Amino acid sequence: MQRVPLLMLGFVALFIGAGAGLARLAWPMPAVAAGAAALHGPLMVCGFFGVVIALERAVALARWWAYLGPFAAGLGTVLALAGAPQLAAAGLYVLGGLVLLAASLDVFRRQRALFTFTLVLGALAWVLGAALWAAGWPVHRVVPWWMAFLVLTIAGERLELSRFMPPSPAATRVFAALLALIVLSLPLAHTAWGILVFAAGLLALALWLVKQDIARRTVRAKGLTRFVAVCLLSGYFWLALGASVMLGAQGLHPGSAAYDAALHAIMLGFVFAMVFGHAPIIFPAVLRVPVPYHAWFYGPLALLHGSLLVRLAGDVSGNFALTRLGGALNALALLAFILSTVTAVLMGTPALPKASKT
Amino acid sequence: MNMPDESAVRDALCTVDDPEAGMSIVALGLVYNIAVTDDAVNVDMTMTTPACPVADSLVEQSKAAIAAISPPGTPVNVNLVWEPIWNPSMMSGVAKEFFGWPG
Repeated sequence: MQRVPLLMLGFVALFIGAGAGLARLAWPMPAVAAGAAALHGPLMVCGFFGVVIALERAVALARWWAYLGPFAAGLGTVLALAGAPQLAAAGLYVLGGLVLLAASLDVFRRQRALFTFTLVLGALAWVLGAALWAAGWPVHRVVPWWMAFLVLTIAGERLELSRFMPPSPAATRVFAALLALIVLSLPLAHTAWGILVFAAGLLALALWLVKQDIARRTVRAKGLTRFVAVCLLSGYFWLALGASVMLGAQGLHPGSAAYDAALHAIMLGFVFAMVFGHAPIIFPAVLRVPVPYHAWFYGPLALLHGSLLVRLAGDVSGNFALTRLGGALNALALLAFILSTVTAVLMGTPALPKASKT
Repeated sequence: MNMPDESAVRDALCTVDDPEAGMSIVALGLVYNIAVTDDAVNVDMTMTTPACPVADSLVEQSKAAIAAISPPGTPVNVNLVWEPIWNPSMMSGVAKEFFGWPG
């Protein structure tokens, strides 16, 4: 199956999903985005990340059926934007998640390890979250499930790479315990204390990642490797902060400033920092075009973090104008990231010294 | 240009980095076997996990690195293998030292 159109479906969801987010912040938006204001979360999580992560897993597995995952999720986006009944779009997102789950189980079957199991649980959280949304749950109640989808997927991949570090059975046991805490709290995340257990699990996981991630070492390297490490370490800050906000605000109360702050610290600050760092690695693998590293990749990253600070400053101070401005700058950071990546591709690989012909 | 020997192939593969680790696939212990025959270069390599999406690009880079030191038109076969499955003890001393393993 063609990878480029599948990836494009993901980016349609990203663009319109981000536009929908801006519409929620009362920015004037084209009708297609303004009309999708209620779909901001599903488009970002299922439409963009669902497609991208399922596509990435399909590329890794190199099985044709695994490509049905990003295809189904991408089709879900099309239906959602076409105004189809929520059940149809959500159903396709469930289907996309099920294929990712099957692909993750296949990886687990080939390599039985805690990190492959973590990827399975991440995919399962997407499926169950999308199923609950399909069943009519409001998005804000589904949020912990989708947060778990992204956090566990990232954590599983980081756990995998942490094997480069000196083995520590104790650290592995702590990770397993945190994984259990997060997953078991999910079905109770709608209760007052369930969400606190969930948040505490995320906070502890952020600290675990800071301690065990190879980024602590690779941040001393150069070029792309250091950039990835800076993305990760700065992302862990937002994961810890978002989880702390949830703890401080006694949960996720929709419509509150703390809800906006916690959600965007984690889903935007943490998750997109990870995306910014890995795009130069993953895009070449998925699209077969090199994305040569440039020092100006730090620009969009700085804008992402700076714009989130503005947004959260607005949340903390109750100054909606500031939150609104931060939101616009958030979108600008994503745009800057896309433009910088595309520019790097178009500029191509720096010319290598010609090999002498003998 | 003559056929490269195994150590030349290994040196060429030392230029192929795992971008995340900032280390070559050789240092990380991902290259399992190098065999140079009279008319072809065969390499067995692995990834740290089957969940790794960059396998294809590392294989392509490895092929290009070997082709650059081989006579034009030499068949370069880089096989992705999963047996045995990679584990951290396969990393070289340099990699272990970088990641802080006790010496």
